[in-house]
Amino acid sequence: MNELLKELYQEIILDHGKEPRNFGECETHNKSAHGHNPLCGDKVSLTLFVDDDDIIKDIKFSGEGCAISVASASLMTEKLKGKKLSYAENMFKDFTDLVRGSEESLSTIDEDDSLYALKGVKDFPMRVKCATLAWHTFKNALKD
Amino acid sequence: MIKDKIIHKDIRKDFPILSKKILKTKDLVYFDTAASAQKPQVVIDELNQFYERHYSNVSRGVHTLSVESTLRYEDARKKVQNFINAKSENEIIFTKSATESINLVAQTFYDKYMSTGDEIILSLMEHHSNLIPWYFLRDKYGVVIKFANITESGEIDINHFESLITPKTKIAALTHLSNVYGSQIDEKVTSICKKNNVAILLDGCQSAAHLKIDVQKLECDFFVFSGHKTYGPSGIGVLYGKESLLDEMPPYQGGGGMIGEVTTDKASYAELPAKYEAGTPPIAEAHGLGIAIDYMNNVGIENIINHEEELTKYAYKKISELDFVKIYGDGDNRNSIISFNIENIHSHEVSSFLDVEGIAVRAGHHCCQPLMKHLGVNSTSRLSFGLYNTIEEVDIFVNALIKCKEFFIK
Ligand SMILES: Cc1ncc(COP(=O)(O)O)c(C=O)c1O
Repeated sequence: MNELLKELYQEIILDHGKEPRNFGECETHNKSAHGHNPLCGDKVSLTLFVDDDDIIKDIKFSGEGCAISVASASLMTEKLKGKKLSYAENMFKDFTDLVRGSEESLSTIDEDDSLYALKGVKDFPMRVKCATLAWHTFKNALKD
Repeated sequence: MIKDKIIHKDIRKDFPILSKKILKTKDLVYFDTAASAQKPQVVIDELNQFYERHYSNVSRGVHTLSVESTLRYEDARKKVQNFINAKSENEIIFTKSATESINLVAQTFYDKYMSTGDEIILSLMEHHSNLIPWYFLRDKYGVVIKFANITESGEIDINHFESLITPKTKIAALTHLSNVYGSQIDEKVTSICKKNNVAILLDGCQSAAHLKIDVQKLECDFFVFSGHKTYGPSGIGVLYGKESLLDEMPPYQGGGGMIGEVTTDKASYAELPAKYEAGTPPIAEAHGLGIAIDYMNNVGIENIINHEEELTKYAYKKISELDFVKIYGDGDNRNSIISFNIENIHSHEVSSFLDVEGIAVRAGHHCCQPLMKHLGVNSTSRLSFGLYNTIEEVDIFVNALIKCKEFFIK
């Protein structure tokens, strides 16, 4: 089997793609956003509850899309829960760097990180948007 | 079996890109001609030569190069005229794309023949290019858009279509060949339009390189297509319009080349076809399209049709045999295009998997979001053929689909 495909579709990606975690809508939320990839029609809706100390207390997503976009959203929600917003914004930057193939200056994601599994996307430039859809939606939700 | 209808593989040598290796090792299997066709060497060479030896602006000077460019540009128009059997050269307008052609018709047809409350009929399987220009009219002027239903087999529901027509219906804009189903429009649709005095625009993007086009037989008022899907360059599109309509409708854009006389108070407009060609047109691209048409004529339109019919039948049969694949539409009315999904695998995964095998297919909504909604899916994969594809490539593709399913569904 092709190495690039194995890199792209690691077990954890297929698993989260099929059985996404934190799927649905937060019972109470104070931030939300819809994301849409107009090129392919993939959609994601994100709800968050952020407390007074800027901690992400709860985060859930729903939507439809390919394994990469669903797995990425699922892994993102796992990672962001409990994080402070300022830290989460650094993760956004690190993640978008990672999937574009630049991993020199990552401060919040390392090789043991589950998000690192999405690194294989860098060899499929047309799929970068799939991997970053949830993260861009998260960024938009913060403006909410 | 069907071999005698298949174009000989040597034709592939006409297309330099087909010898490209994907990821350095895999032979390219190009199954995305519906998105854009590859270019034969003659088209590539002629474009170069045009710039090297003949290029200047057209219809704007008396020097040698201007004459040489203009001759080639106008020659291309004649080639298009013959290619689609239009009555007159005046009925062939060059644009930058089919998309621009549709925008041109929507705007100018409205200006001449429609007003608020008038109705337009589209179908649920139109490309966004044949939706949004009409949506603009709805938003700006309050025209009403009605959508004809699509049957399971991927065709316009004729009864429903007919029931949508009222005295206020002014135009129907429909795909001649669906870019999702590969289905050809039923002649009944055009006769219903005729009978009811409804103008009809056919979107020929997918048919121009795959069917014999005769705009007089089709009885359409407008026919549009893009050069890049007919083995020509991008940046050139065609609008065919009946001369009487093009004469009556107002110009689309204003600029050089489309004027008669200009004073500080007013302007008069040029005769057809210049009236609709404001500004410097896509000159070399028009010439390239003319060469692409020559190329298709040399191969033989009949031969191309037969070849693609055999490929399509063969592929449809082979793919139908895979129980994990769902094909949209049926086998009878189908030309060069097959859209499908593998159960429980998103089209992106299929497309990325096939790409690594060297196979280029399209994944996504194919610019047909209303149709995707109608089908209850978010996307499909699509293979589409050109005259250079082979039966062997279909076999490679089918094997790859089986491997793809095994990879994702363990
Ligand atoms: C049916 C149909 N209509 C319109 C278009 C738009 O063509 P273009 O982008 O060349 O203007 C396409 C191309 O994708 C098409 O397949």
